[in-house]
Amino acid sequence: MRSDDRMMTGRTVHRLTRRRFLEVTLATGVMAAGSLLASCRQEAATPVPGGQTPATGPTIVTTPGAVTEFPRNETFFVAGFQWGPPTTFNPMTPGTGWPAGQGFNTPFQHLYETLFGFNLLTGGLEPRLGQRLEQPDPATMVITLHAGTKWQDGQPLTADDVIFTFELAKDHPEVPHNTFFDYVATISKVDDRTIRLELQKDRLNPGFVKLLLSGVKILPKHIWEARAKSGQTLTEIVDTEPVGSGPYKLVGFSPERIALQRDDNYWGIAVFGTPAPKYIVHPIFKSNDEGNLALEQGRVDISQQFVPKIWEMWEKKNLPVGTWFKQPPYHVPGSIPLLFINVNKKPWDNPALRRALAHAINYAQIAELAMSRYSITANSSLIIPDGAEQKFFDQANVERNGWKHDPQRAVQILEQELGAKKGNDGIYVLPDGTRLGPFKVECPYGWTDWQTALELVAQSAKDVGIEINTEFPDAPVLFTRIPNGDFELALWFVNGVSPASPWIRFRDVLDSRGVPPVGQRAFWNYNRYNNPAVADLLDRAAAAQSEAEQKELFTELDRIFMRDAPAIPLMYRPLEFYEYNESVWTGFPNSGNPVAPPQQGGAGIKILYVIKPKS
Amino acid sequence: MDVAAAPRPRTAKRWHPLVITISILRLGGIGINTRFWVSIGLLGAIVVFGLLGPTLLGKRDPLRIVGGLYDPPSSQVWLGTDNFGRDVFTQLMYGTRTSLTIGLIAGAVATLIGVAVGTLAGFRGGTIEEALMGITNVVITIPSIVILILLSIAIASRSIVVMGVIIGITSWPWTARAVRAQTASLRAREHLDLARLSGAGTVSLILVDIIPYMLSYIFMAFVLQFASGILQEAALSLLGLGPTNTISLGIMLHWSLLWEAVRTGAWWAFFPPTVFLTIIAFALLLLQSSLDELFNPRLRRK
Repeated sequence: MRSDDRMMTGRTVHRLTRRRFLEVTLATGVMAAGSLLASCRQEAATPVPGGQTPATGPTIVTTPGAVTEFPRNETFFVAGFQWGPPTTFNPMTPGTGWPAGQGFNTPFQHLYETLFGFNLLTGGLEPRLGQRLEQPDPATMVITLHAGTKWQDGQPLTADDVIFTFELAKDHPEVPHNTFFDYVATISKVDDRTIRLELQKDRLNPGFVKLLLSGVKILPKHIWEARAKSGQTLTEIVDTEPVGSGPYKLVGFSPERIALQRDDNYWGIAVFGTPAPKYIVHPIFKSNDEGNLALEQGRVDISQQFVPKIWEMWEKKNLPVGTWFKQPPYHVPGSIPLLFINVNKKPWDNPALRRALAHAINYAQIAELAMSRYSITANSSLIIPDGAEQKFFDQANVERNGWKHDPQRAVQILEQELGAKKGNDGIYVLPDGTRLGPFKVECPYGWTDWQTALELVAQSAKDVGIEINTEFPDAPVLFTRIPNGDFELALWFVNGVSPASPWIRFRDVLDSRGVPPVGQRAFWNYNRYNNPAVADLLDRAAAAQSEAEQKELFTELDRIFMRDAPAIPLMYRPLEFYEYNESVWTGFPNSGNPVAPPQQGGAGIKILYVIKPKS
Repeated sequence: MDVAAAPRPRTAKRWHPLVITISILRLGGIGINTRFWVSIGLLGAIVVFGLLGPTLLGKRDPLRIVGGLYDPPSSQVWLGTDNFGRDVFTQLMYGTRTSLTIGLIAGAVATLIGVAVGTLAGFRGGTIEEALMGITNVVITIPSIVILILLSIAIASRSIVVMGVIIGITSWPWTARAVRAQTASLRAREHLDLARLSGAGTVSLILVDIIPYMLSYIFMAFVLQFASGILQEAALSLLGLGPTNTISLGIMLHWSLLWEAVRTGAWWAFFPPTVFLTIIAFALLLLQSSLDELFNPRLRRK
């Protein structure tokens, strides 16, 4: 276990690393995790939570001649994405230095850019390197690049760079977008500004392709072609002088901070304008408290850290701090941590028992206590009832087929459907003599909101007569055991909101195709749920051409999910926590001023264009 | 002959029971210092709070959720609620009980192992001493917190007893070394020769002729082990490796740190357990040092 701590911090002081570990994982858990699963069927990289540096030992690299003076009114301070000392800015390395990485769910645009930026509020793709995305027919996509796109070293950025980047998926299985050609038959150049994609007709899934178009960072062919041909594993290349196409250049990094400076020759100035901050600095904090205190004191302008009771900052302390909403849930829901139930382990193979547990859990309490009110009460649906997925959410379906906190109903299921009898110790015993507990529910140590949620699940379950004990092993242990199907009950993540959601979430939970048997690593469906009716519905939903048709199919999939309850949604988490302090910069977007979505990656780069220095 | 002048025969002095009690408490005029009484008072208060508190104030489940995230103290929740919305005051009572129990078990186990190893090594000498002290010296060089952490990770479900035993079996070496030294000096005394001549075996010699002669020392060692056991439990719990499905002072601190009670100003979540841990450790050390003074005349104050 300690080796993983070391991996992140290069330290061996136990207390500190343990604490650090917790903060790293807490802050970046779901977000980074989502990216791992976005596409990775044969994921080669080690699935470690994001924000951590790769296992290159404690070597600390600092760029020579780095900028070290940052006038406060020209500098924008960011927190919550980088823990541990940065060692590389290779966008393909898992846990690479901010802002080169962070996967498909939070693709930062500062340094490297994607073709399009995903907007988590609308679900749409917004122009970035790409100006237009046209679909002349369901299986064809035509991308037009903006005029004048160029790299930070002055070389032009053309269709060749785009095609080069995506074609890495052909002979480099280690790249994050290695499943690109499962869904795309050909990618070809029409001219220097135009790229044409022919999708696989038998696996038509435009949503998934859009996820990659908005998630894959375009690489400079003139730099990376030689590296790709050298036979090296691309993810292992250490790049400390990245050449991107974005509005900011890396001008310095050390174990204390990463510093970016605005590139005044940026190609996009003509299209997007000039971002306000001259410098962007991400201080690297030792702990969550430290970063949260910095936000409170205005030393950090925008943060992605979990801040318990953030409303007290403006309600009690009158600080110019804000989140997206001024009232609960404060954040836009973006992902659903799911309580996975091992459907192949007795007695959990009985869906009635799973539904009994689902009725026992007090979801409002989890939202209030574990999520510090940053979640609305969880529904029994796999569709997030807000933001980009709201259009697919079917409240009537949830009410008819789903569950909600109802201990009496849980007891009724236990006694009438399962014929269980309550023992003297208050725990039910099934007719075959199986006592309902003690069962083991797990999540990684240090993911505090998750740990708290599971403690509450255990308490709720005990109240109806099911004994569940919590256990919190270190994250790397569960990153092996859960995909291998080696668990009883576990809180785990699936894909958050993206151009491919909610389809991709239904696949993550219900699709048994491509899932190896227990003991081998699965990339979705960790509890090996199997239902032959699902595959066809999923394929039709992926290829569906109208929203109405999609909604109908998702409703049917949701109904199957709620009937069989292979997993239980416990709460909603935002894709990124979005917290700002207006002491130095003002004009941050929020629900009253929604000029940019509450995300620092994807379409959220617009935040940098709408804020203004206070003085 | 002047009878009256004859010296009066000396009559045996009759002790009033009250005088006996006082003299026992003053231990024959040695005088137990104030520190002793302060430490006993503090410990007594803590023990009463931990053991009788839940009974006197009505048994409440310390894991029951009664409020919201860090509700401040009120007439319902005297010390506010923790991050789970659980009553901090109730947790403090049960946490004190758990911490005391673990400390007691850890102290007893450590003292038992330490005394067994120390007396055997000191009394038998030779190869056995070499071997036992070799093991002790090896164990002493490994920081016990490392072993503690590894053991705690290896054991998935840690009850209060298991925690106490784990802490106990990692903290005996110092006792063993000190006890060995004491035993070695006792070994040469005449009463042991007499006992040996009358045919007593090793075990009987150790139990009857050695241990009673250093009982005061062993008791003080136990008090120290007790205090360190409580602090070790707090350290482990702080790392999230404490006893499962219960509450202890260390677990309270663990959650208050995870939920940033310090930054959010929820003093009731971290201050009471800290104060309690400090008082318990302080009282036990005070007890130990006052006992030391009592048993060791050279340290006695004038």
